[in-house]
Amino acid sequence: MTRATPLILVVDDDPSIRQTLARELALAGYDAVAAADGMEGKFVFEERRPDLVITDLAMPRADGMAVVAAVRRVDRTPVIVLSVRGEEEDKVRALDLGADDYVTKPFSLRELLARVRTQLRKSGAGGGEEVLRFPDLEIDRGRRTVAQAGREVRLTPTEFAVLELLAGQAGKPVTLRQIIATVWKGAPATTSDTVRVHVGSLRRKLEPDPANPRYIGTEPWVGYRFLAEPE
Amino acid sequence: MPPTLPRSRALAWAAVPLAVALVTAFGQWAGANASTIVSFYLVAVLIVAAWGGWAVGATASVAAMLCFNYFFLPPFGTLTVADPANWAALVSFLAASTLASRLVATARRQAEEAQRRRREVETLYELCFGLFTATQRPGVLGESAARTLQAIGADSGGLLLGGTADEGPLASVIGDGPLAIDRTLAERARETREVVESEETKGVRTAYVPLDVGGLLNGILAARGALASRAVLEPAGRLLALAIERERLLEEAARLAAVRTSDALKTSLLRAVSHDLRTPLTAMRLEIESLDRHVADRPEALSVLHGLSLEQERLERRIDNLLSLARLEAGVAKPHPEPVPPASLFRGARESLALILADRPVETRVEPLCPDIWTDPSLTLEILVNLLENAARAAPPGETIELAAGRDPGARERVRIEVRDRGTRRTDARSGDSSSGGLGLRISWSFAEANGGTLALLDRPGGGTIAWLDLPAAPEAEEVAV
Repeated sequence: MTRATPLILVVDDDPSIRQTLARELALAGYDAVAAADGMEGKFVFEERRPDLVITDLAMPRADGMAVVAAVRRVDRTPVIVLSVRGEEEDKVRALDLGADDYVTKPFSLRELLARVRTQLRKSGAGGGEEVLRFPDLEIDRGRRTVAQAGREVRLTPTEFAVLELLAGQAGKPVTLRQIIATVWKGAPATTSDTVRVHVGSLRRKLEPDPANPRYIGTEPWVGYRFLAEPE
Repeated sequence: MPPTLPRSRALAWAAVPLAVALVTAFGQWAGANASTIVSFYLVAVLIVAAWGGWAVGATASVAAMLCFNYFFLPPFGTLTVADPANWAALVSFLAASTLASRLVATARRQAEEAQRRRREVETLYELCFGLFTATQRPGVLGESAARTLQAIGADSGGLLLGGTADEGPLASVIGDGPLAIDRTLAERARETREVVESEETKGVRTAYVPLDVGGLLNGILAARGALASRAVLEPAGRLLALAIERERLLEEAARLAAVRTSDALKTSLLRAVSHDLRTPLTAMRLEIESLDRHVADRPEALSVLHGLSLEQERLERRIDNLLSLARLEAGVAKPHPEPVPPASLFRGARESLALILADRPVETRVEPLCPDIWTDPSLTLEILVNLLENAARAAPPGETIELAAGRDPGARERVRIEVRDRGTRRTDARSGDSSSGGLGLRISWSFAEANGGTLALLDRPGGGTIAWLDLPAAPEAEEVAV
């Protein structure tokens, strides 16, 4: 981040949402710039290089997917998509294209601002540390060990790989397809059920209360999200 | 030309004495010697044998031999043979003419057989061509059957569709009146999957041809008339069966194409409606939240805003409900089940109703060994939100609402979720027929059903209501193949 105040680009075709978001982001202490559709969004992104992009998915001219793709062609700038309930496939497609998070319309401002903070912190912090530390959980990537509340937890290599992937992107939803591609390298026989079984056993080993997960949360229709905040 | 055959044979018989007499007369008139006349007799015998067959030929041989002896071998005018050498001539003539007529008759029969086969192949080829180049249009089934019946030489007939012969009337295809069906024969054709024929009377018989494709019986073709041979009936039946099957597949393909088009239309319409309804709602919600901050120091404005956001939230839920129901009923959205921990459903439901439940104690309890639920999380969350909202509306302020989840005591592979309140409801509020609560309930029923679950509302002992939501449990990790 080169700026003192992060610059956020809001792309939405509804003027009311666009203006309110821009105003509220400014009130929350960010610089905001708005674009009325995907085409304009791509243009403003190229011109201003914002620190974060918030984009609607359904828009005339270029849609949100085009914005996500355009941003990803250039760099890792975080993108949050505004999706609509019932259009889960779009959400998953945007995440697979490289979007970092989504909120579902109608969303609350508080929720969106929390997601913005998480994404900005992550992009500033970088994700290359050897040891990932969360409340009561330490994941040592070098030694490939996991300690929960001071006690070592024995994980299979696959379970560790799943945990490493999710925890490395804490706060970000990870789609089932992304997990299969990263952990199983897209092995043809791998299905969503395979992933679910491993996540199930991870939860039994890690979670103090597996029915009420504290670390690995289910994102309906999408996949999983690592819930704990890094320390 | 089967009817002409017996007459032609009778003529051949009549020609025998005529031919022999003609040769004899000619020999007498020309004064032919014995060795010349023998070859004339032989030619006559071969001609009638080729015409009338071996029996005619053999009879002609004997007749010719007798005439030869009587008129041309000395002593003339008697059947006595004086010279032993003439015996040899007579016997060798008889042997040669009989053998030759036999050969000629066989050749003739084979030629006829070949001719018949050729006609059969032609018939089948024409049938095949007719059946499979028929364009797809209404009534093509009857047309195919009529074509087949004509091809096999039937005067009347029809289709017995379906697997059993005793049910379903004959779809009469050609002929003057309805064909009398012999159910026993039809049934035998159905069971044996072979052509079954009645006795032939005056060249007319009835045949029952099973229409069998790969072991699947499409029906039975009943045909009456001077029918072609079995060798034609069997393949004709198979061709018609294939044509019917093809017709069925074409219809299926057309239907699927229509369904796909209408699904695409429904999907895009619902998508547009969803976007258009949710965009202003989102804007409203953002504005309310924004206003909230600006009037933070004015309690009376804050309470108005609070009421406004409650109503906005309710509208949001109604629209969510209606759109989900529309998707489900339009068949464009199928539930996507996945393992869902009951606790996360409870958390989700409470978060969705944060404002309504603000001053309301809610107790949640998940049994220690309760499995995950195998269900669509979004739809199930909506059920729970509806139930919880109804409970909150019915129960007196401050009264606790309980949420519980555990294995169904009656069925281990199911999970039961209970929402318990101490509220009082109008009697019709449970029927789902009226009021906004009724709509939510109706939608909840649909969603529960779509997820393989059931929903029941019961009186709670001591007053109030228990909503029972039974859903399938997610398979345990060990049961899922990895």
